[in-house]
Amino acid sequence: MESWSVEGPGIGNAGRFTDGFGNAAHLVNQLRPEGEINIHVRGEVTTRDSHGVLGRPSGEPVPALYRRLTEAAKAPEALYEPFRNAKENRLSICHALMARVGEELGLPEEPKAPQQMQANGGQAQVQEVAEAGEPRPPAADYAHLFIGAARALDIPARYVVGYRLVDGEDGLHAWAEALDEGLGWVGFDPHAQICPTESYVRLAIGLDAETAPTLRTVPLAEVVQVAKVSAV
Amino acid sequence: MGENTPFDEMYNADGSVREPYRALSEWLGEQPEKGLALMQADAEAIFRKLGITFAVYGSEEGTEKVIPFDVIPRIIAANEWRKLSRGIEQRVKALNAFLYDIYHRQEILKAGRIPEKLILNNAAFCPQMMGLEPARGVYAHIIGVDIVRVGPDEFYVLEDNLRTPSGVSYMLEDREAMMMLAPDLFQRSKVAPVETYPENLRRTLESVAPAGAGRNPVIAVLTPGIYNSAYFEHSFLADQMGAQLCEGQDLFVDGGKVYMRTTTGPERVDVIYRRIDDDYLDPLTFKPDSMLGVPGIFDAYRAGNVTLVNAPGTGIADDKAVYTYVPEIIEFYLGEKALLNNVPTYNCTDVDQRAWVLENIAELVVKEVHGSGGYGMMVGPTSTKAQHEEFKKKIIARPDNYIVQPTLALSTCPTHINNDVAPRHVDLRPYVLVGDEVRITPGGLTRVALKKGSLVVNSSQGGGTKDTWVLED
Repeated sequence: MESWSVEGPGIGNAGRFTDGFGNAAHLVNQLRPEGEINIHVRGEVTTRDSHGVLGRPSGEPVPALYRRLTEAAKAPEALYEPFRNAKENRLSICHALMARVGEELGLPEEPKAPQQMQANGGQAQVQEVAEAGEPRPPAADYAHLFIGAARALDIPARYVVGYRLVDGEDGLHAWAEALDEGLGWVGFDPHAQICPTESYVRLAIGLDAETAPTLRTVPLAEVVQVAKVSAV
Repeated sequence: MGENTPFDEMYNADGSVREPYRALSEWLGEQPEKGLALMQADAEAIFRKLGITFAVYGSEEGTEKVIPFDVIPRIIAANEWRKLSRGIEQRVKALNAFLYDIYHRQEILKAGRIPEKLILNNAAFCPQMMGLEPARGVYAHIIGVDIVRVGPDEFYVLEDNLRTPSGVSYMLEDREAMMMLAPDLFQRSKVAPVETYPENLRRTLESVAPAGAGRNPVIAVLTPGIYNSAYFEHSFLADQMGAQLCEGQDLFVDGGKVYMRTTTGPERVDVIYRRIDDDYLDPLTFKPDSMLGVPGIFDAYRAGNVTLVNAPGTGIADDKAVYTYVPEIIEFYLGEKALLNNVPTYNCTDVDQRAWVLENIAELVVKEVHGSGGYGMMVGPTSTKAQHEEFKKKIIARPDNYIVQPTLALSTCPTHINNDVAPRHVDLRPYVLVGDEVRITPGGLTRVALKKGSLVVNSSQGGGTKDTWVLED
């Protein structure tokens, strides 16, 4: 990390703490907020492509914690049951799960999956017509489905919220990480159907979107988040 | 386990009086006709004056009631108490060690001594507590262990109550009332004092203040408010130990520290004895719509700027499904055998055990895993056939939601019933404080089932209380 700053009213007097998942957090209170509250976060981060492999960072809770099932991260049995007695290693199973989640919720437009088009051309085209114009579900849904399926197979999996550099798109993104006994934590982005690259920056982790929010308010307020990510 | 005749704490089988009850027996024999009835009427007046009431949820009559008090004390011999308190101390030490482990490295799960899923997927497990270092490593500072006696030397722990156990105010008021009602009886026996509880509570709370709190930490009792069934106790305890009684709106968090609004401006709070359930404690971390808690209080706790007593997430150690593993927990952390017995518990998710349970339901006690206060439970021998069938259906529908235990023959104590003395079933809740040391108040709260033959002692189900005497050598 080259630089990181959080600016907003009251931030100078913020309470700082580490949450149960190892995330650094700020607590700010506004006694009489008037109108909008703007919080600006600026940072410069140098990244490298590690093929999604994060390893085992220190200061994190035991990985077993991420076997806990939650309401938000659930998957239907049909999605993970075929992998229940799979002979492949965990990494291969997670890659296959990522593909299954993509098929379930819709694959990214680019690149298209040409093999599937050929093998089952007619059907895929019909599907595409039906789905044309409809936006895909948010990345959080993909991450939750992947996490729910992995946990159902006893693989610790967690939710990651962060930034992703994509031209012309808002940079806030969500994906998942699953634990491989050998490699440690490995990222999987079922929404983009890839393992995180140097275009990804992790911000916070949790069991699901509810426990890893970028911002929480009381009383509940309308929160608009915009993230601009650009390469330097 | 004494299935047939319940153990009578006053009389031996041959009708002779047991040693600890000798003075009481003589005193009872000296009471004039209607003496006990007059005393009972006085007791009623005393409790009304003290204002000690409790609320019954779902009751049609007024919500405030005076809890029935029985004028005949329950007596425990010094050697019996020594044995009991050693067992209790062992239990609370092991359970605190268990909580530390579960919220850190989880060695007991890695060792396979408790099924991982039972803990990790338990609603009472609080992931937000992971990695937190509570002062002195203590999670459960205030504990009320429910114990029943079935024989001269046989005690069983029913529940450990590590969340926010209530009833200690009854223990204190029962003693105060008893001393007013029968001062002569106290002169004949050496009774261990219970009045030290509020002072010990204060010492315990001060001993777990966060680093940097200074020599005189500020303590607040956080209550959900006047509509809570134990509000009286909250205000009573705050008053007795000289602490502030606060509701959520009286506290606020600024700069990661907790402050109390006072007439002279904000005052920093170091230790919060909170009587609000985990879920409602902090809308930022737990239930977002809670109006009872204080936004940011949990974050201030994580930042090490305040101590919450008891810690959130202690419920995982008194969960009814985890209960069966307590002997295992004691062995794992202390390397000792459990001194107090657990009640054998049948697991209804096991097909064979369930079949046996369904067949023998008329003899068994069924409890909801997350139930309390005697709600949602069934005592087989005192229930109707229709109730047996109803609970069979419930168990089949949700086997994981119930635990089943044999019906214990709870011991009986002499109890004043309609100007006569008759045996009634009792249990015992000793109160334990854990801080710089373990402090157990001698005795505790004895609850008595006033209905003949009844085994349900909860005040919400027609139970009363008794002053509990631990004799000194």
